[in-house]
Amino acid sequence: MVKNKKVSKPVAPQRPVRKEEKEKKERKPLLLPTAVVMFVLLWLWAWLWYGDVLQTAREFSFWSSDATLMRFMEGRPWGLLWWVGRALLQLFRWPVVGGAVLAFLVSGCTWLLGYCLRLRGWWRLLQYLPAAAFLITVAYISFDLFFENETGMFMGIPVLAFGILLVLALIIRSFSHHHRFPPIIAPPKDETPRQNRAQLLLMAVSIGVAMGITHWIRPCLRVVTTMQCQLEKQDWHGMVETARSRPELSYRQISAYYAIALVHTGELGARLFDIRLDYDDPYMHGFQGENTNATNYYLFDCDLHAGLVETAIHHAMERLTMEGPSLRTLKLLTKCALLRNEWEVARKYLHILQHVPFEGNFVARYAPMLHHPELVDADPEFQVVRQTEPLHDNFENLLTQPSFLGYNATLTEGRSLQALYNSLMVHIYTKTMQQFIPRCQPLQGKLPPQNITEALLLMSGKYPEILKMFPNLQYNQGRLLTFMQEVKPYLGSHETRAEHARELFPRWKGYYPYYYFFGNLKATKRKDTNTGTSNQGVN
Amino acid sequence: MREHKGYVVLLLTLYFLLCACVRKAYTVPAQYVEADSVAPLYPDYTDITIPANIAPLNFALLEDEATEIVAELKGEKEGNLVTGGGKELKVIMDSTEWQQLLAQNRGAAIRVDVYAHFPTGWVRYKSHHLTVAEEGIDPYLSYRLIEPGYELYRQLGLYQRNLTNFDEHVIYENNRTFDEEHNHCINCHNYQNYSTRQMLFHVRAQHGGTVIVREGKARKVQIKGDSILTAGVYPSWHPTLPLVAFSTNKTGQAFHMYHDEKIEVQDEASDLLLYDVEKNEVGLILNDTTQFETFPCWSPDGRWLYYCTSDEPQAPDDVHIPDSMAEMRRVMFYDKFFYDIRRMAFDEQTHTFGPSELVVDCAGRHRSASFPRVSPDGRYLLYAEGDYGQFHIWHKSSDLYVKDLQTDSLYALTEANSPDVDSYHTWSSNGRWIVFSSRRMDGNYTRPFITYFDKRGQAHKAFCLPQYDPEYNLLLLKSYNVPELTRDAVSVSAKSLQQCIYETDGEQAKFRPRK
Repeated sequence: MVKNKKVSKPVAPQRPVRKEEKEKKERKPLLLPTAVVMFVLLWLWAWLWYGDVLQTAREFSFWSSDATLMRFMEGRPWGLLWWVGRALLQLFRWPVVGGAVLAFLVSGCTWLLGYCLRLRGWWRLLQYLPAAAFLITVAYISFDLFFENETGMFMGIPVLAFGILLVLALIIRSFSHHHRFPPIIAPPKDETPRQNRAQLLLMAVSIGVAMGITHWIRPCLRVVTTMQCQLEKQDWHGMVETARSRPELSYRQISAYYAIALVHTGELGARLFDIRLDYDDPYMHGFQGENTNATNYYLFDCDLHAGLVETAIHHAMERLTMEGPSLRTLKLLTKCALLRNEWEVARKYLHILQHVPFEGNFVARYAPMLHHPELVDADPEFQVVRQTEPLHDNFENLLTQPSFLGYNATLTEGRSLQALYNSLMVHIYTKTMQQFIPRCQPLQGKLPPQNITEALLLMSGKYPEILKMFPNLQYNQGRLLTFMQEVKPYLGSHETRAEHARELFPRWKGYYPYYYFFGNLKATKRKDTNTGTSNQGVN
Repeated sequence: MREHKGYVVLLLTLYFLLCACVRKAYTVPAQYVEADSVAPLYPDYTDITIPANIAPLNFALLEDEATEIVAELKGEKEGNLVTGGGKELKVIMDSTEWQQLLAQNRGAAIRVDVYAHFPTGWVRYKSHHLTVAEEGIDPYLSYRLIEPGYELYRQLGLYQRNLTNFDEHVIYENNRTFDEEHNHCINCHNYQNYSTRQMLFHVRAQHGGTVIVREGKARKVQIKGDSILTAGVYPSWHPTLPLVAFSTNKTGQAFHMYHDEKIEVQDEASDLLLYDVEKNEVGLILNDTTQFETFPCWSPDGRWLYYCTSDEPQAPDDVHIPDSMAEMRRVMFYDKFFYDIRRMAFDEQTHTFGPSELVVDCAGRHRSASFPRVSPDGRYLLYAEGDYGQFHIWHKSSDLYVKDLQTDSLYALTEANSPDVDSYHTWSSNGRWIVFSSRRMDGNYTRPFITYFDKRGQAHKAFCLPQYDPEYNLLLLKSYNVPELTRDAVSVSAKSLQQCIYETDGEQAKFRPRK
């Protein structure tokens, strides 16, 4: 073991360095500066691994330097701290920047903690534990980091810890001249290589555990947030690829954003069932702290992309009321106002977004549309929304919830063929085949999208007249027969199907008959319906 | 030398502090080009009549290219105020100078010249005028601030604004962060005869009840009972007696999916109640099951009770509604509800009501009235009229109308109305001002507007409640609900109201059968 020797003041003239000493120096094991390594690892974690998550957290948050806009934070416990936390979260507009600040705060806390507690030798490992706990907690709570929770906590807690430790360290340094700050870019002089390696290992393990939790225990988080970032950029094909990259995952949030993307790529009728639609628990907790499916998470996005602009406003306003303003809500409300040609309220939302750092691009893109309906109609995203807007008014209350499914399930007249396809897809998704078949009549003589064709063929056994309406279906019967033969042993009880659904999925993913018999079994069993006027608060 | 350094630092600090505190002195540009239009101001404060005691009408100029603004306010009688703003183009006036200018020009006009600096030089817009009325407005306006949400509520509160300045005082706020155990809504604040000495408001959900404040003491009561539809809803204090008329409404909402309007708020049933504050007794005034009675309002002398009522719409003969849809029938015929305004004489001795008489026939015109309010002199009946229904804050067709009870003439307050929603209104105690809720600014967020109601019974161009920061209304994501004017400030503290709400269950009102 090589011990670091205390360097005494140079004495001139120096004697020539002997060969053995030189060799000894060259053999000295490399001691890595743990603070720097920690900073780099955290930075990479926050930037490359968790970047989309934190960018999405920013979209769920809101911060402005204007007091009127931040009035909703007044009087809240720890309000000022969360205000600061929200401000720093804005930096995750670019995860490379936000990640650097987070890494600085967390590694700074670690370094200062070691100094304040005067940790030496092996005890120095203790200074990494709070940072490890922070990282693992962040990974474990997953969506609760930002969904229906105070978004300022994520950066606010490290800021508070850093502030307290910094003040403490300065006090200690001021009153104890012997207690010098340890070096930042070099390991402490008393640190042995084994201790150094142990610290590095602890760091690596902590980050590895956090990443493992995200990947295996909370796998939904990164997929959904990546899709949301792609939604923000209107990268529809990217969203489809992201969802299909982990088809074995099955969460409502993934399915919702996948369906939105398919609406825009025109593939809803062909690729909806490429991913599992069984809906595992996403581990999300609402305001009340109870495990929830969190339909609120995606509801207004689905409304908008199903052409239900008013319904999207309804649900976005509820979010605005319950959570306070957030970037995603304000952006959606802006789009809805433009689609409804409500110029003044669109101007209001754009004006507010102008007060938020780094939102200039959004404002620059949509502000020219004010008072220019032709620009609204020319926008590629809005064009798709317009295609499926209702032709006639209806009341949400008269429909089965959620409205974007309920409305499409009762659609009798649409603006486009796409609207009819979307509506038929709702039927085959909800397995309401009795309503599905008569509504396919307008497609007679045409070749409908793949999944609709498969559904028609499946139903043709029970309703042979389908084959007369769609004679081309017969060419696909071979695959259906193979499927039925293969799954026959498993078509017993609901439980038997549920048991074998997972093993059959890799072979039959994307094939509608598989979904019909083995997919979404929980919902099929429950048969949710909900209509009626709302007697909740009238505001 | 070192001592001198200290003085220099001190002087520099003082200098910068002074610079920060002292308002920049603006001068009227000597050279400018005349524009052929009035300045585009936000809010629109051009050519309006204002109370002599109103807070400064700070405004912003809506010009993208301009870099500076100067405004000169010149009194018709006397006084002059030159003010301005930098690149934000906001004019924030000195309160003392403003009040002095108004005092000097009571009953006269103030000419406003606005100058804007563009890259090409100064431009002067066409002058506009502020007419200062002889009559002031009651100094306090209370309201609820809430997101124009649909079903849910979270943080909301009742506030009181001093109209002579920009002070806003919290009357009561619910919990700031979500807490299921204490989550509650507050609404329908109401005062007796423009005084806060007797007031009330409702609390819904957790800690629910009606909070009644008398002489600075708050107590909670439970008006709902077995013989009553729901709790008390829209209130009206009798002007002199310890009585409150309430409507009791079973209310639901329906949400449009492709319509200019967004929401329909409808009653499934509604009745009228009379509550005796001293005896804590409640009785039914009207509970006709074929009628929807709502929005009670006493006349200023307390001898009449006005209210709105509608028949239940009948389905056309050729329309068959299946039993499964029966409960949705009212939603399907939402635009067939037409409310009239009726009134009943009230006997103050026996607390009984006379027969009902029609005051404003809206149903006959296929129109619908809500919120009747009689002017303090008893001559004018002010109400909101829309195409259908009663919850006009969600109806763009809603406008303010007046019925002259002396001449029986009925007319819209055209000068004050807008193409968007103009609804909930309150008279000032001198009858010269009306404060009402309007969504004219953006169609969604309600703001209080003030209009002068002259001796001829005509309203003038309405203006938005002034704010210190003219940008405030653009930034605020809440609506102003139920504006109510009072002569005095609410004296009961928010803390004592909270104690009353949280710590008492509320005394159950005794039901008094009708005589």
